[in-house]
Amino acid sequence: MQHEIKAKPDFACLTLSMDRGDQVVCESGAMVGMTTGLELETNMKGGLKGALKRALGGESLFMNTYTASENGQRLDLAPATPGDVEHLLLRGNTVLVQSGSYMASSTGVEVDAKWAGARGFFGGEGLFMLRCSGEGDLWISSYGAIHTVDVQGSYIVDTGHIVAFQDSLTYNVKSVGGLKSLLFSSEGLVCEFSGSGRLWLQTRGSMPLVTFLHPFRSVQPQKHAE
Amino acid sequence: MHIEVQHAPAYAIAIAHLDAGESVVAEGGAMVSMDSHMKLSTSAGGEGDGVLGGLMKGLKRMVAGESFFQNRFVAEGAAGHITFAPTLQGDIAVHELSQGTLIIQSSSFLCSGTGIELDARWGGARSFFGGEGLIMLKATGTGPVAFNSFGGIKEIPVVGDFVVDTGHIVAFEDSLEFNIDSFGSSGGFNLKSFFLGGEGLVCHFKGSGRLWIQTRNTQGFGTLLGRQLPPRQS
Repeated sequence: MQHEIKAKPDFACLTLSMDRGDQVVCESGAMVGMTTGLELETNMKGGLKGALKRALGGESLFMNTYTASENGQRLDLAPATPGDVEHLLLRGNTVLVQSGSYMASSTGVEVDAKWAGARGFFGGEGLFMLRCSGEGDLWISSYGAIHTVDVQGSYIVDTGHIVAFQDSLTYNVKSVGGLKSLLFSSEGLVCEFSGSGRLWLQTRGSMPLVTFLHPFRSVQPQKHAE
Repeated sequence: MHIEVQHAPAYAIAIAHLDAGESVVAEGGAMVSMDSHMKLSTSAGGEGDGVLGGLMKGLKRMVAGESFFQNRFVAEGAAGHITFAPTLQGDIAVHELSQGTLIIQSSSFLCSGTGIELDARWGGARSFFGGEGLIMLKATGTGPVAFNSFGGIKEIPVVGDFVVDTGHIVAFEDSLEFNIDSFGSSGGFNLKSFFLGGEGLVCHFKGSGRLWIQTRNTQGFGTLLGRQLPPRQS
């Protein structure tokens, strides 16, 4: 299976060239276009338990598997938001992916939901991660461009900007600065990574966009008690 | 301090590289990532302002629609970097000031170096009618200032007169004078254009200096999407 990513970083789209027997698993709704020699199977990957865990992580219950029944097939995939797509090659190592940033993977990659723990939960920005391990291709997507950082030692990231990180990094959710900063800095919670490994960030967050748009909504008239 | 811009133009970020002991002032909520020895302090005033001076500066910023507090990140003990991003899609420009002054539309300010003094500037009563938040920050001193746009940034070298829609102003050099006008008023006030032309108010620049404009307007974007969203409770 060969791949090409076009229109980076603003509106990236993934094109896969598949031969008979090639398989790819992707997020439901990611398919943009395909040739007709591909068979689609929709299932709850990892069984009901795995699917429910993924649903908790903000992912769809179902995942789509495309299998090429003939040679020379093409499958185009795109994420839901404007932004970037990046290819990661797994060779027995493990990458943790922010649940909304998982896009597709080849069949040698195992995808499992991982609850990032209570501290992650209080981050309020869905610090549910998908644990991707095994051997094969993994494609991740972002809102905004994907910015890569190689961490040596320790590094701080706003929780809303995390896309993925190698599991050689350990992390800790905390607030940045002192009490006054916690209350008035608008910086919210951050994730402190330690160790050595690669980190993928997105250059925009979807929450700030939603916060920006909120005041533009009209106000519903108050219903008075009769 | 050196500010580098990456991933321009649609999803640009600014990376500030600081020497040990240097600091950077940034818009609240703009921090994306940083070395862990960067220390954040949140205060109303700048360095050496004292309690009263800080309070006054904070209040002035608040009147101008900015936050009372300001975030300052210091590279403690060693050099390091910190990454900032604006809220919406768009580009970032970095302008090096040398004993100069730049006027920035307040929502376009992203970050600035240690040697830059930031002051809220009262746009004057006429700005009120701009309706598009024509609240300005005055950046004075020596060092880099980074500002962001919604859409792309275009630099326009103004010589003489130039008219810009108030929602498209990002920043300008203080050598330019400006006046808020209703569109088409140069040939006498035109009631029909004002109400039906959809152009609202414009900013009339005079003199010579650089002006930066943004290729999209946040108010236009917000209004379009806000109309299509379900009503909010409050």
